[in-house]
Amino acid sequence: MAGISSGLATNYIYACTRMRVRRSRLIPREDYLRMLNMSLPEITRFIGDTYYRSEIDELATSFSGINLVEVALSWNLAKEYQKILELMPGELKYFTASYLRRWDIQNVVTILRGKMQKMQLGKIKEVLVPAGRLDKVTLDRLLTEESPERVVEALRGEQIYPILERELPGAMETGSFARLENELYKSYYAQLIADAQAGIKGGKMFQKYILLEIDIRNIQNLFRLRAGHVREDVRELMIPGGSFPVEELQQFLVLEDRDEFIDALKKQVDALPLLNALEAIRGKERLREIEVALIRVQLDQMERMSKRYPFSVLPVLVYLEEKKYEVANLRALARGKEANLPGERLRDYLVM
Amino acid sequence: MVDVGMTLEMVEASQMGMKAIGAALAVGLTGLASGIAEMTVGSAAVGATAENRDVFGLVLLLTVIPETIVIFGLVVALLLLF
Repeated sequence: MAGISSGLATNYIYACTRMRVRRSRLIPREDYLRMLNMSLPEITRFIGDTYYRSEIDELATSFSGINLVEVALSWNLAKEYQKILELMPGELKYFTASYLRRWDIQNVVTILRGKMQKMQLGKIKEVLVPAGRLDKVTLDRLLTEESPERVVEALRGEQIYPILERELPGAMETGSFARLENELYKSYYAQLIADAQAGIKGGKMFQKYILLEIDIRNIQNLFRLRAGHVREDVRELMIPGGSFPVEELQQFLVLEDRDEFIDALKKQVDALPLLNALEAIRGKERLREIEVALIRVQLDQMERMSKRYPFSVLPVLVYLEEKKYEVANLRALARGKEANLPGERLRDYLVM
Repeated sequence: MVDVGMTLEMVEASQMGMKAIGAALAVGLTGLASGIAEMTVGSAAVGATAENRDVFGLVLLLTVIPETIVIFGLVVALLLLF
């Protein structure tokens, strides 16, 4: 990767400090607890007093109620991620761009699903988050394409194109994009690992994050599959490249007893926080509670790693991840309030 | 190392030269050290100010703290020379 400047340590310090300051401005736990007791207009006003103000003000004339909150959050997230990508120097930009490609997958799959269901263009556009490599203009162009096949054809030359081309006929036939989505995410993680191992300075730290992410995602998927009573071959659904080989994950799944399953998982895990979380999960029944506990462990572990390597890509990734969950939390709060869900129920959905 | 063939003036001049080299090293090395320290603090300070302008006064103060290293060097140099 000769095209990437090695950059001075000062660039890292500058960028990482900016990320830490931004992270300190994220909505704290107490505010979420306060918002649990608010109504939707109150939440909108509360969000409008924070750094979401410009989006809320800008969109208030076109949207109202829950749509205003949703679109404002998406716009803010996309704007924030694009701004961060702009200010990252050298290798950090390369790794950040690599991480942000997941939004391309989300956007493309959303467009394909929308096209398949013959949704209105405006409706599809509302849920897109142009935070990855494909910017607003490219996504708008994709939206105007007539059919899913044309959308895929327009993506020729992109990294995701070969998989889209291979999987689309099957998806169109079955009417389900699940397999296509799985394959896209699997290739995304494989590409992340390849980027981390490309010999660029700081790649080792990036790889540590990827390993953690894949492990947590695989464990989450195992719990989900168990909750759905799936016992067949799930090797295709697991992400390869983590600390557990895919075969081992399959063996975990066939264990009938839940405690036995957790014990087997614990035997393979080294990190103490994850061990503690798995022990705490033993007492939890609801799937969402388990998922939130695992996400919390991942964020805590990333935070710990970012302190060990303070001037690496890790502080940037911690901020990007926490921002993603902040937006998800606010969206869950707004949607929950709209559906008149009680506060205690909503609380389970928040990553605080 | 005093050569038996050296005169008193030559010895004094040599001593003066050594002092000058010592003083130069004291100022020069500490100058480099504070430069490196300020580079680190400075880039973090610029990053913090870019995000929040209110901290400008505070980070300016933090940025000049490594300056004390070179001042110590200067004091040692002055003591050596005078």
